[in-house]
Order: sequence, then C-alpha cells, then structure tokens
Amino acid sequence: MSSEIKDDLLEETAYVSPVRKADWLMRVGVFIVALVVVLAIFGPYIGPYDPTRTTIRIAFPPPGLTEIPGLLLDWISGKLDYPPHWMGTDANGYDIYSRVIAAPRTDLKIALLANILSLIVGVFFGLLAGYWRNWGTEFLIRVSDVLQSFPVFIMAMVLVALAGRSSTNIIIALALVYTPIYIRLTRAEVLSQTSRGFVEAARAMGNSELSIALRHVLPNSLTPALIQSSVTIGFAILLTAGLSFVGAGVRPPTPEWGLMISTGANQIVLGEWWPSVFPGLAISLTVFGFAVLGNALERRYEKG
Amino acid sequence: MLIRYITRRTLIGFIQLFCLVIAVFFLIRLLPADPVSRLVGLNSSADAYEQAARQLGLDRPLLQQLGIYVGLFPDIEAGLFQGSLGVSWVTGSPVGSEIAVFLPVTLQLITIAFILAFFVSIPVGMLGALNPGKAADKGVFVYSLFAGSQPEFWWGLLFVYVFYFQLGWAPAPLGQLSPMTLPPESVTGFMLIDTLIAGEVGKFFEASHHLMMPVITLAFILSGPIIKMVRQNMLRALQSDFILYANLIGLPRKRVARYALRAAMGPSMTLIGILYGFMLSGAVLVESVFSLGGIGQYAIRSVLAFDYPAIQGVVLVITAISLIVYLLLDLIHAAIDPRIAY
Repeated sequence: MSSEIKDDLLEETAYVSPVRKADWLMRVGVFIVALVVVLAIFGPYIGPYDPTRTTIRIAFPPPGLTEIPGLLLDWISGKLDYPPHWMGTDANGYDIYSRVIAAPRTDLKIALLANILSLIVGVFFGLLAGYWRNWGTEFLIRVSDVLQSFPVFIMAMVLVALAGRSSTNIIIALALVYTPIYIRLTRAEVLSQTSRGFVEAARAMGNSELSIALRHVLPNSLTPALIQSSVTIGFAILLTAGLSFVGAGVRPPTPEWGLMISTGANQIVLGEWWPSVFPGLAISLTVFGFAVLGNALERRYEKG
Repeated sequence: MLIRYITRRTLIGFIQLFCLVIAVFFLIRLLPADPVSRLVGLNSSADAYEQAARQLGLDRPLLQQLGIYVGLFPDIEAGLFQGSLGVSWVTGSPVGSEIAVFLPVTLQLITIAFILAFFVSIPVGMLGALNPGKAADKGVFVYSLFAGSQPEFWWGLLFVYVFYFQLGWAPAPLGQLSPMTLPPESVTGFMLIDTLIAGEVGKFFEASHHLMMPVITLAFILSGPIIKMVRQNMLRALQSDFILYANLIGLPRKRVARYALRAAMGPSMTLIGILYGFMLSGAVLVESVFSLGGIGQYAIRSVLAFDYPAIQGVVLVITAISLIVYLLLDLIHAAIDPRIAY
C-alpha cells in the first residue's frame, strides 16, 4: 500500500496509544530498523555466496529445521565441500540467503535517498508556501494537489518504465510521489508556527524575513516531516518491491526483495515456496519495523 | 443549496481532471522513452520508423498532438470532447472499450474486499476502543499496524501456497474462472452479475470461488488502516459529552456503544473513500498475482508496451472514478451527520 493514504489516515487520527511507557513495541521497531541498516552496510560481504552469481544447484530446497544443527556441525568441521544454502537456491541457482541479506543495500538505499530527496524538496516548498502566501505559492499548492491525485503506483510505474529501469530513476519517481506529502505537512506546521509569539518577537528585534523563516520558523516546523520519514521509508521499500514485482523496478540480477519474490512467484504453485517466502518475510518485518518506529516517534512528539 | 454544492464540486472536478490530462500528457512525452522503436523493433529501417511515427501522429508538433487528444481537431481524429480516449497503439482498438472490459473486474474485486474488510474491522476496532489499554486493545493496535504495512502480493502468494498447493481449498490463481470454463456473455462486465443474468449458477459459484483468495488478501491489507481509524474515531466519540451523558443516565453499555459507533462512522466514511480511490490502482499487485485481468494489469501492460493513449486513458478514468467516489461519500456523510450543511 502507498504511504499517501496512510498519511491521510495518520493525520486524521491523532494517536491515542494503548502501548504506554514500557514501550516494548518501539524496541522491536528500533531493533528491526537497526538490523536492516547493519545489513545495508555489511550485507553484501557477509553472505556465504556472491549474491549476483549463480551456483550449479538449481531450486535446491532449504534444510529442514531438524537438519540445521547437523549441517552446521558438518560445515564447521569442514566436511562439506560448499557452504550450506540456509534458505535454498532459486530456479536460477542463486543462493537465497546471500541475496536476502544483500538486498537491504538496494532497497534501503533507494528508499532512504528517495525520502531524503522528497524531504528536502518538500520542506523547501512547504516553507515557501507557508511563510510567503501569495498567488505564486498558491499555484504551487494547487500543482502539488494535482500531483497527489495521481494514482500513485501507476505513476511510479510510468516514470520508471519510460525513463529506464535504474535505481536513480526509481529514486526520482518515488521522490516525486512523496514530495507533496512533505509540502503539505511542512506548510501546515509553518502556518501554525507563524501565528505564534516568537515570530512577532523576532520581527520586533529587527530580523529580516528570510532569517526569521530560516532560523526561527524552519527549525520549529521540521518535526512532523522528520517523523513522517520513518513511515515513508517503510512504504518506499514496499513500493520499490512492488515495482520490481511487476517488472518495472531494478533489473536482475540485482539483489532486491521484490525481484526475488517475483522470481519465485511462478514456482510457488508447484510447491517451491522458499524462493518467495524468505525475501517476503524480510520485507514484511522491515516495513513493520519502520511503521512501528514512526508510530512510536509520533506518540513521543504528541506527548510533548 | 445541495444542487449548487454538487455543481460546484463537479466543476472543480472537471478542472482537476483537465489539469491532470495535460500534466500526464506532457510527463509521458518528456520522459526519454522511444515508443516507436518499441513498436517497430530496434533494427527497423529509417523508413519503417518514420512511417510508424506518422501513423501514431508522433511526427506532429507536441501542442497539436495535445489538441488532437483533447478533441480540438475532430476531423483528424476524435478526442476527449467527442468522448473518445483514443486508440491503443498496441492492439489498435479504442482505449475506452478496452478499459470497459478491465475496469469492472477491479471494481468487483475491491468492492467485495472493502465490504468484507469493513465488517471485520468494525467489531475488531470496537473491541479495542471499548477496552482501552487492556490486552485486547494492544493486540488490536499491533495487528492494525502490522496489517497496514504488509506487501500484499507476497501474502497473496503465501495464501496460494497454503490454500491451493497444500490444502487444495482454493483454485489455481489463473483468472476469474478456470481456463476450461467458457465465460458467460458479458452484459455488465461484472463476472458475478453476468453469470447470474445468464442463469448459470454453477459458474457463479466458480467465479466466487476464484474471487475468494484475492478478496481475502486485499481485505487483510485493508483491515489494518480501517481498524486503526474505527478504533481511533470510536475512542474520540466515547470521550464526547453526549456519551458521558448517556453513561450518566444509566443507558445500557451496548446501547451507548451503538451511539458511539454511529458518531464514529462519519469521519470513517471519508477515509474509506480515500482508500477506495487509492485501491483502484493499488489492487494492481493482487490482480497480477491471481491473473484476474483488472484495470491495474491493463495499466502494467500499457506502461511496459509504451502505449501512451492507454496510459493516459487509465490514469484519467481512475482519477475520475476516485473524484466521483469522494463526492458521493461527502454527500452520504452529509446525510448521516445533520451538523453538515452546504
């Protein structure tokens, strides 16, 4: 699902949370996000196989739960002539485990950069439109509204497919999808900040409008956009994977979760579950982690 | 008053759609794609290339192309003003009639999924809201966060594995009917209705059986945000004065909950409308997992084939429907909530 809708929902429904002080849920979120970040840095190096090289073992099933200890023992004592495929191999012979832990490099990089790009552009225009209200910025808001009424997934697909299936184009497409959200969030916050006393005070002290906007209003208006980032990154990962799944994302053999699920999709009706299930599990947990973290941050912010 | 409101909203809607058409038209053409070589092949001669470009009207100036698409030159080709969405570059048939085939599939899928999700979410959301802070509420809260952030295509595949491959309860994910079944004559385009019109009860049940898994997948994902907002709006309603009063005068707990639910329905409807509009294109991944042949799959096909008229048509139709849904829901909202006046 896209974040656009989620944002609307989140915005409409300010949180009243049942999960109080002993915030185990937030710890879960932090743990998952930290793990994904670590894998994004070291993932491609720590897998037993090269994530972009095939092996000679095609559609090799993963070991059963009871076989794992024995296999581990054999591996450590050097009885095996190749490292075990903990999650099996797919129809092309790629080691799934190595690819699952190498994929955060692709997925998180795309999601993070898309988020940073849309955050910067969105906050800039949001500040502009919130602080200087004239027909020009009014027009800007209208444009952003039209942009937001696009069907998100189809728009992202059009941008990536027509501009070329590269990471850069996916990042730009996602950024375009998420920028209106940040414009709206920042503008709303700027509007509420400018009516406060400290802006009047700063003006009375003889600050220029530009310095009030940049040094007083901007720092005070950033929080909602920063909190939104956690949620946006999660949904950007979902969108990236979805694009790969329909063939409008990164090109094979890039290790990417959505692409891996798509590779396994044809085999799943034949009972080969492992090529799709493991990468899907990774997406499922990762996006949940980011959603939980975003939610926890939001609750903190609302408490003050 | 109401008539004036509807007219104004419709007018704004048309302006929005018009801006959208122009934006999409230029966006597609500004991107560095070459639809002509995609159609005639990369190794074609310059002659064949030019001829194809001429046939598609791509040799004309950009503004004239836009004019033709909008319908300012009906003598060259019918456009939007004449009620035509153009002709698909790949299949050669009118985009409008193609969309008319694909759209009902998606509408049927998401409408049933919404109804299911809605009826599951209301009791679950109420369960959370009526026991704030307790274990049930925590469970509901975590579930809604989880369901709302899941890759639906992966869950679809997982369900296929469990319910088709392992248990054999669901049919193979190969479309609306099994490949051997002759589809009924298309009257409305909605498979469930068409089978009934044709009087073929067996096919009706077959179609329902094939719809089961995709509907459950979508309803699962949708239940996340819907539960979250039912719970939220319920909590807010339960804190309002009239509920405090109802509790004070000793009305039964069940009746108070019913009052609160009614008050919570209004804001929930708006959000459901937004979700529905989003799902028109958001169901695309589930459609392709189960090969249903909905509007989303049509969009994928058009985008990957660089079929510009089809892409424009899909975006236009989906946005138009979302706008209509928003308008309808605002009217329903006004009917439910007497405080809203136009």
